[in-house]
This record gives sequence, structure tokens and C-alpha cells, in this order.
Amino acid sequence: MVRLMPKSKAELTEKEVSQRLETLAKDITVQIQKKEKPTFRTRVRGKNNVVFDDESLLLDLGDKWSTRNFLNIGHTRKFMQTLLVLEKVKEYLDQNERASIREIYYELKQPIEGSKENKVANQDESNAVIVDLEHAIDSIRDQLNITADPKGGLYGDIDITDHLDKNSKYNCTEIGRTGWGVPSDVEPKSISLGNTSAKYLLVIETAAMFDRLVSKKFYETNDCLLMFTKGQAARGARRLIHRLHHEKKLPVIVFTDGDPYGWTIYSVIKGGSMALASYSKFMATPEAHLVGMTMHDIETYGLQNASEKLEAGAEKRAKELLDYPWFKSKEWQNNIKLCLKMGKRIEQQGLANKNLNFVANTYLPEKIENKVFLP
Amino acid sequence: MAEGQQISTDSIFKEFKEYSAAEFFKKNRQMLGFTGPIRSMTTIIHEYVTNSIDACESGGILPDIIVKIDKYGPDAYEIMVQDNGPGMPEKIVGKALGQLLAGTKFHGNKQSRGQQGIGASYCTVYSQITTGKPTHVITGTDEGLITEMDVSVDVKKNAPKIENKKTYKGEFRGTKVTTKFKEVQYTKGANGPLEYLRRTAIANPHCEIKFYDPEGARVTFPRTSRLLPKLPKGVLPHPKGTTTDDLVSMARTTPARKVSSMLKMHFSRMGDTKLKEIQQQIPFDLEISPKNLTWKEAEDIVKAVKEIKFMAPEMDAVIPIGREHIEKSVLKIVNPEVVYTSDRPPKAYRGGVPFIIEVALAYGGGAGKGESEETSSVEILRFANRVPLLFDTGGCALTKAVNSIDWKRYGLKGLEKLPLTVFVNISSVYVPYTGAGKQAVSDEEEIFNEIRFALMDAGRKIDRYVRGKAREAIKAEKKRTLERYMPEVVNVLVNVAKANKKEMTQNLEEMIIETLKMDESDEAEETDEIADDMDGEINAEE
Repeated sequence: MVRLMPKSKAELTEKEVSQRLETLAKDITVQIQKKEKPTFRTRVRGKNNVVFDDESLLLDLGDKWSTRNFLNIGHTRKFMQTLLVLEKVKEYLDQNERASIREIYYELKQPIEGSKENKVANQDESNAVIVDLEHAIDSIRDQLNITADPKGGLYGDIDITDHLDKNSKYNCTEIGRTGWGVPSDVEPKSISLGNTSAKYLLVIETAAMFDRLVSKKFYETNDCLLMFTKGQAARGARRLIHRLHHEKKLPVIVFTDGDPYGWTIYSVIKGGSMALASYSKFMATPEAHLVGMTMHDIETYGLQNASEKLEAGAEKRAKELLDYPWFKSKEWQNNIKLCLKMGKRIEQQGLANKNLNFVANTYLPEKIENKVFLP
Repeated sequence: MAEGQQISTDSIFKEFKEYSAAEFFKKNRQMLGFTGPIRSMTTIIHEYVTNSIDACESGGILPDIIVKIDKYGPDAYEIMVQDNGPGMPEKIVGKALGQLLAGTKFHGNKQSRGQQGIGASYCTVYSQITTGKPTHVITGTDEGLITEMDVSVDVKKNAPKIENKKTYKGEFRGTKVTTKFKEVQYTKGANGPLEYLRRTAIANPHCEIKFYDPEGARVTFPRTSRLLPKLPKGVLPHPKGTTTDDLVSMARTTPARKVSSMLKMHFSRMGDTKLKEIQQQIPFDLEISPKNLTWKEAEDIVKAVKEIKFMAPEMDAVIPIGREHIEKSVLKIVNPEVVYTSDRPPKAYRGGVPFIIEVALAYGGGAGKGESEETSSVEILRFANRVPLLFDTGGCALTKAVNSIDWKRYGLKGLEKLPLTVFVNISSVYVPYTGAGKQAVSDEEEIFNEIRFALMDAGRKIDRYVRGKAREAIKAEKKRTLERYMPEVVNVLVNVAKANKKEMTQNLEEMIIETLKMDESDEAEETDEIADDMDGEINAEE
């Protein structure tokens, strides 16, 4: 069994991570030498092992561990694949190389020695064992030098230094209308956050709304940073939100569509996700608030014409939200129940129903000024 | 003569007086299984072969039967059946082949293949009426004498006519019957002579049967047991098994002077106490002459018998084939991968007729209908007192019982397509056929249920086998999987942890074999709970 050094994930150096991988392989070797079952332990993920901490307001993994046993036929293939990924990742670390999850998939998409069968059949297989491996050595993926597709952008007055790109320094108002593209790896060793005059960070679901607010110079008139996630926030974006909040002391205000999907995006930014529950401490921002869209906005701002029908899938999702512990507050229960009662949803861009300036000049300043938020 | 129950026994016997028995059956040949050319052919083979086997058994001889069918013209066949039995004196030849209802089996309450002593003689009649030819018989007894003769039936008198008789010295022992027929047809199918003989061989492991078909091809069904079946003991019928019809015909033929003495003479478990109990329940005097017994009075007696308790019937009148014999012959002739038999004691139906059910389930290999295991479908072999029942499949309690089983529960899913042969034999002194053709057993509740129990008994055994087989296949697949993935694991350990390749490989190979040995008990372990509900957990957020 892998003996872990009692050290927090975030502090691990590349060398230490590589060391842990080697230790895991050595432990298995010793098991086989002693003719014991070749096994390793990894944390159980999924609903059954996710806990919500009422105090920190974070999702976290419980302490269920499970053993992968090569000799158990249900585990055999994954066991092999985990070791194959282990070998690859150790190579990356030792050679200071990085690869995306898709690149790892293609690296492993080769026939097994003496067989026509491929080591991995599809990317889902390699993705799954990557997560197993992270948890087996108690690290996070970024420390394995595995990258994800970058998604999201940042605009506003802040200096950024990218250590993986000639240590270039930018101000995020000077690199074009689409802002600074958030990379998948925003760990401190890669990205340093410099000076900023902003008073808060506004996180926006859609790139189109981000566009609208950039064009209206909202960052300037309201002294804030603007960031878009383009749907569910990628890990890089979430990690960046977390760092901006903690290192630059910026309050985080989230602005999504007024429907169960938008609210889920908010809850992931705020409390973490079930799939990546073990990362919440590094990526989630429990102090975040939602400025909108809420169901009450429809009446308050007379947006009845702009609301849309709540489709069956969204209705089902809304009902699920009602049961999540992180949506148990009175305000949230009211909002979701109202959504179900009305059978309606409202998009951010529905605010254009008033006029194109309405969101930047009226809706956002008014609500933020008066702190009309959902918790 | 179950159909006789509808016609009424009285009328049959009345007709016997007016016509002869031979004439009667000439007009009612469907009652004897002569319906259509294909079935008539199989019936003829059946009559001769059962006579031959019975003759051998009663002489204590292991039967060697030869059957030869020649086609000598369109729709015209010559059929030859030869046995190695004790042979027959001339008088017996005349009775066996030249007179209807004269066989040795008609009286006496024994389990036997034929029951009425009509069949072989009717073949003689059938030959006469379709070809005009007599039946040629050669028979040799243990005195070293061979007799040859032509036999025909004087239909008006129901008496044998012997012609061209020759007697000479010779070594041949047994009987050889050669007869020409028209209005018969040879078929290779499930209703034809070959299949009939195959099934006869399966249910009679002590027989060797050689068959030459019209094209000259020879098939031999070998003997798999050298043990002759016990000769059935004649036991008096149990009162509970009797019917009004039985009583009426008994009254016509009994030598007894009173009904009371008739009952005592012809039934087991019938003492003075029981007669008194019957007397108390009926409105007429049991001392009357049997000749005067009316249908209504017979009915009253049967009704009374139903309400009275009798000692259970003697079970030793029923002689099963025996599990080990069935297993051997099925293995040899059906050639399956495996065969399982039931193990059930005799039972009684209608409260007093003893019977025993034997069942075999043969699986895989040559079992089932069809050329190969892949194209196979279930085959049901029905037997009554070891005689194959080829016709009236749907109306038979044996078929219905087989179809009533939920075979899925015994690991046999999709019965229609399985390489499975189901063997069912009912042995009884009195098999309740649905008709005089004797091809289907009627739906007696006790029989139906007993067949089901026997099938379930054998089914449980086959279930274990089929499951075991599936387990073996899974094991082999597991071994292949482990061995396929092992070298990759070893490579990583060599590259990352500087492991010794040879040591890793050797140890893992040993462990794989060990694991598969112990595997059977802990299959539940093989679920992967680590990320069960997290399909695509990476992509969900990227």
C-alpha cells in the first residue's frame, strides 16, 4: 500500500509527485515478490462518497477508499491502464513535459503486446484511470503535468505573469476584447497574479454577455474584473476564481442564466462539484454570491415577455436541485420552487428585452449596489 | 380399447358375434394405427418388432432384431423382421399371425408392450387386402427344426390359414416374418421406421437392432445392457383403477357365477369385508349372475369402490427400464455431452393403477433435433412401456408435461433452440391411452404431475451442469484476460520500479492459476465501485 507523506496536495513539487508514482509502482512490485495480490488503493468517487460540509459550504470527498486488485477480473483492465498512465505521467514529470488528457489517450492507443486489442479503447477509459491515479497518490491532476482544454476569459485591470510563456506580463485590459484566455493550469508556479484596482470579480456564464459588458466598459464604470466561463466553469477558471478571491481579496459575484443549469454553474463555482469533490478546497469559492438571473427578476424588472418555457429536462433538474444540501437555504428553495411553479426560465440576454443598455446601466449596478443576491 | 368406451364395449362384442373380429377390424383399421401410408408402415414395423422383443424376453434371450425394408414397386414394399427368439410351434404361428384377439397378452394384468393381440395378425390382413399375398414365416425352435409356411387369415371365420408348409432340420433359431404391403410409404422423417427403431433401441438397451432401409443402407443400434428386464408379474388389478367398461366386459367373459365372486376373483385387495362395504352402498344384490350385470349396476359398483378405502396396490407389477440403463443407451445412441435421469418411486393413478415415470435429459453433442449443436432444437422422446410414441404428439400428457415446465429455471433458456433431448417413459400395467391407436397418454392428473416432478428432478441436475459449464467458460475467459494484460503490467513495473521481469512474470502466472482455483466462491467481489456513477467524470467539467 502506498504510504503517503503527510503533506498537503497544493504544496507538492514535481519531484515529490514523481516520487509518489515510483513508490506506488514499488509497492506493487513488492506485493508480487511476496506473492500477495497486486493492489493499490484509491478514493471512491461519486455520490456515495461525497459530503457537503455545512460550515465551510464545500463539497468534499468522504473517506471511503477502495482497492483495485489486478487479480479481480472486474479490475484487471483498469489496473493495467492505471499503471500505463503512471508510467507516462512519470515520464512527463521527469522530462518536464505536459500533455492534455486527449494526448495521453492517443499515446496509449496502441495494441497490447502480442494482441490486437488496444491498451485503451476510448478516451473515457484513459480519463477514468487518470482520476484513479490522482487519488491513489493524493495529488491533483495539474501536478501530474496533465492539462485540460482551456476555457474562459478574463478582462479588466489586473497584471498577469505567465511563467510558462517567457515570463510575459500582461494587463488584462490590453490584450483585446476577448480578454486573457484562461489556461487549464493556473497554479502559482505557472501564473502569478499582479496588481489590480478592481473592487470585485463578476463571473459571467455566456461569452456573449461578457462581450456586451466589455463593449459597455462595465469593468471601468464599476471597477471590476469580468470573466466568462462559457457554460460550466473549467478547472482552470475555477482555480483562478479561487485565487483571485483569496489572493486579491476580491468578492466574487456570479451572473448566470435563470435556470437550473445556470444555478448549477454557480453552485460548482461556490461549493465544488461531485466529480471533483476532492478539489473543492483549492477551487471552490464559498463566499461567492449570485446576482442573477433569479425568478423574482422576471416580475421585478417586467421580463415576462423575455421568459421561456421550462423544458422537461430542466424541470427534472430543478427538482433535483431542491434536494441538494447546498440549495437548502430559504431563498434558494423559494427561487427554485417559483421556477417550477411558473414553469419558466430566463436567460441573461433576455435583459435585452428592455434595451441593450439595460443590463450594464440598470440591472447589474442596481442589484450589486443594493446587494440583491442569492446566497 | 379406450375408444371402445364411446362405442360401448357391448356393441363391439355384439359385432364380434355378427362379423368376425377380423372383419370388424378390417372395417375399423384406424383403431389399430393403420391411418395413412406413412403411419401404417411404422405401425407394421412396431407390431413385428414388439412381438419379436416380447418373444425373446419370454425365452430369456437377449434380442437381436433385424429389420429390412425393400421397395419392389411404386408404393409396394416387402418388410422383413427377424429375431433370435425361442421360435414358435405351428399352432402358435397361426394364432400369432393368423387370428385376431388370440395373442397371449389379451388376458392377464401384466405390463407389456402390446396389449391386445391384434397387431401382428392385422398386418397379415393388411397385406392380404393390399397385395393379395400371404405372410411368409420361418421359425426355428431349440429342437433344431425349422418350419417355413405361408400364413393368411380367413377373415370370415377369424381363423388362420396355413399353406406351403415345409419342415426341415437346421440351426436357425428365432422367427423371421416377411410380408408384402401396398398403401404404405417409407419416410426417413420423425414418423418413419428408422426413427421408430432408434427410439426403440434407446428404451430397450438390452436389444441390438439392425436396420436395412429401402436404399440398402444399414444402421446398427448396439446393445448397451446385457441385462434382460425382469419379466412382469401378473397381478390382479386394483379395484380403484377399474372403470364401468372394464366391469361390463369382465362380466361377459368371467367364469364366476356371481358378481361377488367375480370381483374377488379378478381384483386384488378385494376381501369379504370389502364386498360387504360395497354391498351396503348399492341397491342390488351382489349375488346376481355376472351375465345379468347391467351398465347401470356396474356404474354403481365403480361408484361404491371409489368411496371405500382399499389397501394400496402392489407396486411390483411395474417394471422400469432403470436409470443406469437409460443413461447408457442415451449416451450411446443420442451421443450427448451429458445425460441426467430422474429417480422416482412408483405411484398410482385413479387411486389404484400403479405406474412409474422415468425421465432423462440429454444435453449438448448429438442431443436435440438438427444436424449440429448450433442448429439444434429440443426433441421430445415419448415412450409407454418402452414403446416409442411417434404420433399424436400434441394431445399427449407426456408432451404437455414437458411443455409445462419453466425450463429457464433449470438454466435452459430458449428451449426451442437448445441441443436437448427429453426422454419420458411411462411404465404401467395399464397405460391410459387417449385412443385405440395408442400413441398418446391421456391427462391423468397423477401422471401429469409425476412427469413434472421427474422432469424437475432431472432438471435440477442439468441446471448444475449447465451452470458449471458456463462457469468453466468464464474461468477460461478470465485466464485469457489476465494473461493478456499481465505483460503490460510487468513492463511498467520493470521500467518504473526496476522490477525483475522474470520474477514478476513467474509469480503473477502462479498467482493467476491460484486465483482461478479459489475463484468460485467470491464472484460478488467483482464489481468496480470506485467511480460507478461517474461516467466521464473528467469531461463533465472541461
